[in-house]
Formats: sequence, structure tokens, C-alpha cells
Amino acid sequence: MADRTNEAFTSGDEWTPVSSKLTTARRLLLGLAYLLVIAGVVALFVIGRVPEFVAWTGLAVALVGFIWLWWLIGRRVRSFGYSERGDDLLVTSGIMFRRLVIVPYGRMQLVDVKAGPIDRWMGLTTVQLHTAAATTDAAIPGLEPQIAADLRDRLARRGEQRSAGL
Amino acid sequence: MPEPEPSRSPLPSAVGDDLGLGLTIPGRGSVDEAGRRQVHPISPLVHGVGALPIGFVIVFAMSAGAFGRWGLSAGAVIVLLLIALPLVVGAWSYVGWRNLWFWFDEDGDFRVDSGVLTKQQRRLQLSRLQSVDVAQPLVARLFSMAELTVEVAGTQGSRVKLQFLQLADARALRSELLARAAGLRHDVGEAPEEPVATVAPRDLAVSLLLRTTTAFLLLLTAVIVVGTVWSSGWGGLVLALFTGGLPVLMVVAEFIKYFNFTVSRSPDGLRLRFGMAKTETRTVPPGRVQAIEYVEPLLWRHWGWVRLRVNIAGVGGEDSGGQKEETILVPVATRAVADDIVQRVLPGLDLGALSWTTAPERSRRRSPIQWRNLGVAWDGSVFATRCGRLTRRLTVIPHARTQSVRLTQGPWERALDLASVHVDSTPGPVKVSGLHLDAVAARTIADEQSARAERGRSEDRSIRWAAGDDGDDAGP
Repeated sequence: MADRTNEAFTSGDEWTPVSSKLTTARRLLLGLAYLLVIAGVVALFVIGRVPEFVAWTGLAVALVGFIWLWWLIGRRVRSFGYSERGDDLLVTSGIMFRRLVIVPYGRMQLVDVKAGPIDRWMGLTTVQLHTAAATTDAAIPGLEPQIAADLRDRLARRGEQRSAGL
Repeated sequence: MPEPEPSRSPLPSAVGDDLGLGLTIPGRGSVDEAGRRQVHPISPLVHGVGALPIGFVIVFAMSAGAFGRWGLSAGAVIVLLLIALPLVVGAWSYVGWRNLWFWFDEDGDFRVDSGVLTKQQRRLQLSRLQSVDVAQPLVARLFSMAELTVEVAGTQGSRVKLQFLQLADARALRSELLARAAGLRHDVGEAPEEPVATVAPRDLAVSLLLRTTTAFLLLLTAVIVVGTVWSSGWGGLVLALFTGGLPVLMVVAEFIKYFNFTVSRSPDGLRLRFGMAKTETRTVPPGRVQAIEYVEPLLWRHWGWVRLRVNIAGVGGEDSGGQKEETILVPVATRAVADDIVQRVLPGLDLGALSWTTAPERSRRRSPIQWRNLGVAWDGSVFATRCGRLTRRLTVIPHARTQSVRLTQGPWERALDLASVHVDSTPGPVKVSGLHLDAVAARTIADEQSARAERGRSEDRSIRWAAGDDGDDAGP
């Protein structure tokens, strides 16, 4: 049964995964966010206004959460993939909530290439497709800049060939 | 090339005549040597008068005793607010009026220059025109004035509002815009109209009261009130104020908004007129409707009523002017009338001939109530979905309007080997989703829908509908 369900999201096409560097980048971000959490837990111990077991529970929850998120990021990044077909682009992602977006080239209104500070430092970019629908939501994170630029140019070219109004 | 004067229609249209309250100001905005036009010079006065109620509200709010604290006599404050506020608003509007010019340029684009401090020059490509509205806000009705709203496809700021024109001028400008967008000569005058449907006030009131959520809340209110009185526990009345007051307010607001709703057909497209305090006229050109939804609440089924909601690019949705607006074709109508209206915007649609792919029986464990009604269907030109049990919904999207296709699966759906197909449309109230289908079948449907979208686009001819060309300049 699980195989059949997987087939619905993965079948038939050649999927290109995103760079594994994205895992590192996201874990780095997680680490930064956890600095705040750690500060909070330390504050619990230092202030000492709460019973000690509360502070210990907080620490344990934070630790378990960290390990779980660490593991989840690895799986989530591996779940990203895209596939260029003759007439449309496929983007898939998600583990718990799986998603597959199919965008016909003729419907693309614009293609964004963007990178946040950490992404830039790691040498990663995100390619995002926009159609006239706000709900399209087709973003491919974690691409090498050269691959992203090439992809953007290919998509723009195909979009232009099939250009259409609304 | 200076444009000729806008042709004024020789005979006023029969439907929806001026609802002005008597005062008619003659004259019109000036036209400069380059053919640029202005809105009516009375506009600052209309804006000024329009600010009066705000003054009243402030006076009312402050009458609680704030006057004395400032060492001012109440009379002085009232005079100040009720005279100064309209004066300030009017003066500001006057400066804006002096700087607002609109005209058609040599390329046939509609140009609007505006702005006092920040100058704005806008060029609207009429081939991308989505809709033109003529509305008469209450204050404007005092002077038989109207505002014109032009909507082109695009995101924020693609909406142009001209305040105010004489009603006849607003109508003439509207038909000129529509005629140019349709690729016709622009001096054909106002298109003749043929009424299609009207909504009786009684039907509107009954239908609004019987919508599922409203009816439920009113019933809940009755239960709370009875329970409160019976048990003499007066605290429940506060709750009843919320559960009863909120839906009543919404019903009254919608009743005023959609009062005297009429749908008529003209070569420009479908023309909708409605409103009690503010009367609006909305023209929906054919081929601009992106998706349609039939909404059928449980308590409407006795009369066979439905409401028609639509997505129109640039109108409604979350991002047009920050206001969420429900765009509808008709607030309530019998199924036959609704089908007739739909035929005008999606000619050739035959819902009866569709063969439905329904959700499998195991989807009952995901959606125990609505699973029997879940399904998707398609034919050569449209994709349709249905869902809901208490409030039944049926959505239709032409393949040529499909923007993208999504397949989603939550953990529960995954356990049952189900998946949902969503067909993305432009922002608006209609969401086209085929829920909880067999996962593999859903994927096949999604793939095929993408291919149909591509084909549908290349066959679409509705951009410059009247001229019948290919709409080659239609977009990016």
C-alpha cells in the first residue's frame, strides 16, 4: 500500500534531487535558532524560581526536539525534487504532507531566483515559479547557483515559446 | 492624435437607470488640447460631503465628555469638525482633481496620470482588461454622479478608480473601454442590454437567512436564549448577543449590498447591477471568468436554489486593495436560471454530460460526511469537482484557465492511500479541489489535467472576443 502511494508522487519521471548542502544550511539555521532555546533553558536554571524538575523537563524536551528536527531536516531535504518534462515542470516535496506541483511552461508568469544570507554563504539558491494563481507555490530550494541560473533560463525560454495571457 | 469626444449614447439604457436623488450638476470635466480628460469638477464637493458622516461619528464618539477637558465649548468643536473636516477633505480632493487626467493614447492604451506629491503615470493595456464597474456610492447619488473602476489583469495597483463622473459620462466611458478591449470601433455607443435574471428582495432575504452557518448560528441563539430564560442564568444572553448578532449583521449587510440584483446580457459581457445604499454596476466580459462555483446550502434545496461565485483575475481574492471581496454572478437563483447565466460566460458547458470519477469507499474514513459527494470530472473544455454534503459545492474551471495542478497528501490520506488534486486558479473565492481520490488515479488525473491545460490554452480564442483574432498581444 505504501509503495502504491509513493508511486503517485514519484512515478514515471526522472527526478533531480536538490543539493545535500541544503541539509547543512538548514541544520545551521536550526542551530542558530536553538541558541535562543538554550538561553531560555539556562535562564530557567539560573533564575531558580521554578522547581528544578521543570527546568530538567524543559532541557529534555529541547534536546529531544533538537534531535528530531535534525533528523527531519535530512529527510525533508531528500524529499525535494524536480523533473522537467516536455510540456511542464514537476516539483515535489514534503514527508508528512506530501505535495506535487505541476506547472505547464506556458503558464509561468515569472521565475524568481533568490538566496538568503546563509544560503548565499553556502552557495545555494532557490528557484521559484509564479503563475497567475497565488496558490501555485512551486519553489525549488537548494540549487547550486549555476544550476539555478541554467534552470531559470531554460524555463524562461520554454515559457516564452508557449507564452499566453491569462 | 487627439481622441474625439466620447460618444454619448442617444438613448439611455432601459435597465438600471439613474438612482440619483434629484440634484443634477450640469457640465463635465474639461478636455485639454491633447485630448486628455478630467473627472467632473464637482468631485471635490462630493468628497467633502462624503466626509461629513466621519465628522458626525467623531462628534458622537467625543460627546461622551471629551470637550470639556480641552477647554472648548462643545459647539465650537462640532462646528470645527463638521465644517473644517469636509473643507480639508474637499481641498485635498481639489488638488487631486487638478492633477488627474485620463485619455486614450495613440496605441489605444488607456492612460491615467494622477498624484499630487507622488506623480503616477499609468498605462492600462486594454487587451488585458478584466472588468469595468460603474458604482454610485450614496453621496455620489446625491449629485447623480458615479465612479468608474477599471480592472486589468495584474497584481496590486492594477485597479484604477475615477471619481466622479456624471452617470451618463461614466456609462459612455465604460462602453468605450469595453468596445476598445473587444477590438471594436470605440464609437459604437452603449451596447444594448437584455435582462437575464432578477433576484426578488424576499428571495434574497430568505436565502441569506437559510445559509448553513447563519441558520445554525440563529438556531444556536434560539437554544441559548430559551436555555437562559428557562434557567434564569442571565450570563448566556451575552453569548446570544454574539451568536445572534453577528449573523444578523452579516445578513443585513449582504441584503443591502445585493439588493435588487439584476443580471443582464449585453455584447460587452454580463452586466450585474445591485445595491441599496451604494448601487454598483459590474460588467464581466466573456472569457474573463477564471472559475465558477455553484454553492447549494442544505436549506436551499427545497427551492432548488444555488449561488454562483466566480474568480475574475484582479477582482476579489485577498490581494486586490487589501480587501477580501466575494465576487458573485448571482446571490441566489434557481438551478435553471443559474445554468442559463453560466451558459453566457462558459458557452457550451454541459454539466449533465460529465462522467464523474468519485472518491473510493475507503475515503469515508477520512471524510465520513461528505465522502459520497466527492468527485471530479472533465470533458474537452472544462474540469469540474464537487464536494460537501450539507452545503454542496460544484466548481468548474476551463482547461484554458488552469494555471497549475497540485497533488497533495496528508498523513491520514496517506494511510488510506488517498490523495487530493487541486487545480489552481487566479486569486478569488473559488478553490477547485478534488478531495480524497485514489492516490494513483489522482496522479494520473493531475498529469492529464496539465496536458489538457496546455492544449486548452492553444485552442483558446476568447481574449479579443468580438474581433475574433488570436489575442496575440494578450500577455506576458
